[in-house]
Amino acid sequence: MFLARVQGTAVAVVKHPTLAGCRFLLVQREEADGTLADEPNLVVDWQGAAIGSTVIVSTDGDIARAKFGNTTPARMVVMGIVDVLPSRESSAPVGA
Amino acid sequence: MRLGIVRGRVVLNSAVDALRGRTLLLIEPMTMDNLRAGNRQGGGKSLVAIDETGAGDGQMVAFTEGREAANPFWPESVPVDSYCSLIVDSINVRPQQVSQEI
Repeated sequence: MFLARVQGTAVAVVKHPTLAGCRFLLVQREEADGTLADEPNLVVDWQGAAIGSTVIVSTDGDIARAKFGNTTPARMVVMGIVDVLPSRESSAPVGA
Repeated sequence: MRLGIVRGRVVLNSAVDALRGRTLLLIEPMTMDNLRAGNRQGGGKSLVAIDETGAGDGQMVAFTEGREAANPFWPESVPVDSYCSLIVDSINVRPQQVSQEI
């Protein structure tokens, strides 16, 4: 699982049939110091995460498999919306 | 899933039985900078993914990687690790935040 910042949403008409009705979020993986990954990910969300929020993404497809059936290619799923994060200032090295 | 641009099709002469009749796409993954710029450039390291959506050259797709890429062929066992799951029609990206440091 990793933290990710929600940067947008995506719409797809042509998709795997098991993904019909899914909400797709564009997220960027977030490091402990707040830097964001170069390559974005498209994740499935049914928690209702807003653009700009930080979420936890799991890369295990079992939950998607349970929800959408055995043949779904969905893998990255929003597991939860982050409320409070540890303060980044306190984790920065002294003198940095 | 990651996003990528379709750069072409890969045709195999000799292949394992499980890949017979499948479409393989050459995909160039996209970086966030290129996505924001809207320049239809990729920027990532290219890969080959199996496709059932019928995506064409230049289209933006999302592909699943890992064990889940073989799920659509369940209960058949197909040795693939990337699968083109959808063709992106539109994407709504939040504008880049301006740095607070002056």
